Amino acid sequence: MDVKKEETASFMLRFTQKIFKNENGEPQVQWRGNIRHVQGGDEKRFSEFDEVVAFIQNKLADLTIQALENKSPEEQKSILAKNFDLWKKMAIEGPKMVIETFKDPKKQIENFQDQMHQVKEEIGQKLEDTLLRPSKADYKQILTLLEGLSTEISTLNKKVDQLSKKKSK
Amino acid sequence: MIAIENQIESLLAKKAAADIRIQTLGNFEVWRSSELISSKEWGRDATIQLFQFFVTNRHRRALHKDQIVDRIWHDLDSKAGQQNFKVALHGVNKVLEPNRKSRAESKYVIRQGATYQLSLTEIWSDVEGLEQFITMANQCIGTNPKLAQIAYREAIDLYHGPYLPNRLYEDWSSEERERIQLLTLGALINLSELQVKENPMESVRLTQQALQIDITWEDAYRIQMEAYLEKGNRPMALKTYQQCERVLETEFGIKPLPETQQLYKKIRGIS
Repeated sequence: MDVKKEETASFMLRFTQKIFKNENGEPQVQWRGNIRHVQGGDEKRFSEFDEVVAFIQNKLADLTIQALENKSPEEQKSILAKNFDLWKKMAIEGPKMVIETFKDPKKQIENFQDQMHQVKEEIGQKLEDTLLRPSKADYKQILTLLEGLSTEISTLNKKVDQLSKKKSK
Repeated sequence: MIAIENQIESLLAKKAAADIRIQTLGNFEVWRSSELISSKEWGRDATIQLFQFFVTNRHRRALHKDQIVDRIWHDLDSKAGQQNFKVALHGVNKVLEPNRKSRAESKYVIRQGATYQLSLTEIWSDVEGLEQFITMANQCIGTNPKLAQIAYREAIDLYHGPYLPNRLYEDWSSEERERIQLLTLGALINLSELQVKENPMESVRLTQQALQIDITWEDAYRIQMEAYLEKGNRPMALKTYQQCERVLETEFGIKPLPETQQLYKKIRGIS
């Protein structure tokens, strides 16, 4: 039987919410929890969400490293750099975007659209630069997917526009 | 409340009489007509895996064969996965109903087209029993705490450790393990709270059991402090707080909640 390399990492995340009053009688919320990497069994407790992100990043990096065991050092470096870039972007922009979306949905959809274009350009450039070139078909498929996503966001944007107009009437 | 009393009795009767009995908590064993099914009879691990998967997904609607293969044997190619399923299903049916005539429908594994599901009507499983006892207890804790205690006790007696410990690293079993662990922690906390006045040392034992499951469960420390105080053992109540403080600092880098700190101050102030 052909056994593939491990491609999946699952995480079990537990949050416990504690609501209490501080010394001044003001209500406070505290989150604590633990995260477990299912396939490896490692576990970490946390009270700050950053620790969760770091834990997941480490485990996913391990997964990538294992998958790159037989690649040349140059290929390994290139793929790891891409992985890191992606995570950096996610870690910085993800939470910010969620908060901003609550404040101004239309503006955020526009921002997201811009970012999608930017990511599309970056990925295009990186795919050309890398030693591990995908086939033309792969490259085309990725661009088609990204274009599809951009179009969907445009449509969504128009709908938000229409809703805003209706609301202002 | 009579209804809940009847439900408890009927569940206990099922536990005693079921033809197939399954233990999943702390260990995995299956009994058929009171006879333990040996590992030799199970044969391949894939057979055990498939059966455990059916138990894990007992509440979901019937699952398609492809979904089952994809969840359990995702690392195999489709052909090998399908072959594994076929052989494993044959194994499960043979283990559960060794005398079933060939081509006769299985009594326990219900097939509809290409979907499969475990029928629980005549099967007792500890995990299902635990969940049902806790549901009953939660329903009557406000109106009939005595009855709730009986149901919690039955549930806790069934918990011998984590769900399917031999599948700790399998994706498909994690959700159920987490769910059952939280249900059990809740039951231990509720029962220990109900026992503080009536039987403080039993309350201490129950909180210790909760802390064995999760050493950071702060409610357990607080109830344990109250129970020691009730018993008149002030030094142990203070020691419990110190342990709580140390564990929370080590594991989370935080202090106990104000509620726990206030209890500590109260105990310290008693001379």
